[in-house]
Order: sequence, then C-alpha cells, then structure tokens
Amino acid sequence: MRRYEMMVILDPDLEERTVAPSLDTFLNVVRQSGGNVDNVDIWGRRRLAYEIQKKSDGIYAVIDMTCEPAAVKELDRQLNLNESVLRTKVLRPDAK
Amino acid sequence: MKPSNKAPLRKPKKKSNPLKAAKVEYIDYKDTNLLRKFISDRGKIRARRVTGVTVQQQRQLAKAIKNAREMALLPYTSSAR
Repeated sequence: MRRYEMMVILDPDLEERTVAPSLDTFLNVVRQSGGNVDNVDIWGRRRLAYEIQKKSDGIYAVIDMTCEPAAVKELDRQLNLNESVLRTKVLRPDAK
Repeated sequence: MKPSNKAPLRKPKKKSNPLKAAKVEYIDYKDTNLLRKFISDRGKIRARRVTGVTVQQQRQLAKAIKNAREMALLPYTSSAR
C-alpha cells in the first residue's frame, strides 16, 4: 500500500454540488480493492492558466489516498474515460 | 590574498535563500503563490543564480513548476507583449 495524491480537473459546466458525489462513486474502485481514501479536497471553480479543450475554467479536486498501485491505475483509467474529466495527475508525495 | 588591482574580479553578493527564509520544506506544485516567485513574467523558470536557492531545491522547484504547468496552474507562456 502506498500513499497517492491525485489531482483532477473537471468540466466547468458541471454543477459544483454534484462533484463530490460523482467523485465518490469513482473512488469506490479504491475502496473495493482494500485501499483507503484519506481526504477529498474540492477547490471549486478556478481559472486555467491556458485553455484545455476550449475551456478556460475548471473544477479542481485533490484526492489523498492509500492503496495498491493497481487501484490508482484503474481509477486514473476510468477517470480519463469520462468526458467531464479534463485532466488528471497522480503523484506520490513521499516518493524517493 | 589580496585581490589584484588590475583585474578586479567582482564578487557577486551571495543571495539569501528565499525558500529557507519562507521555511518551505516540501516544494509543492499546488502552491502557486510560492512558485510564481520563481518564474519570470513570461512564465520562464528563473535561473538558480537569480533565485539563490540550492541545487537540490532548484531541481525540485523545476519539477514542481512543470507539474503545475501540466495542471494549468501556471502558464507555459504568458502572452504579455
């Protein structure tokens, strides 16, 4: 089990209050594989430094979790398949 | 040893380390306010001789800035001018 930090940029056209529950359904992948979601921080709407898919805003969310590598990989794959996800990034904050 | 009068070698003033002053331990790519101090107004990463941080910190800084750029937190280029 490892600690991961994932940042997601979501479509700004989404309702901001639907973000938390929809992210939570994605995070079930982590929970079902025995991992743990430590913290979900939704930053809310934020201006992008440059346009992504012709959009100048995005809803940012940062997720801290502890799980197996395969679980994050699957989560990342599923998020990227979703149309309303503009971009994701997975980091290990305690790498090295 | 006295510095020679003929070729006056300018000893550049040692810059104080801005990260040490701000007590930053882990350079986080999410901390855009901090990272913005280390990029020029065109969005380029400032050189170490300008920033005055250590070699290791400069490397971490560059990585953090590049991560922040990927997530559209910082610009790759600023269209100023």
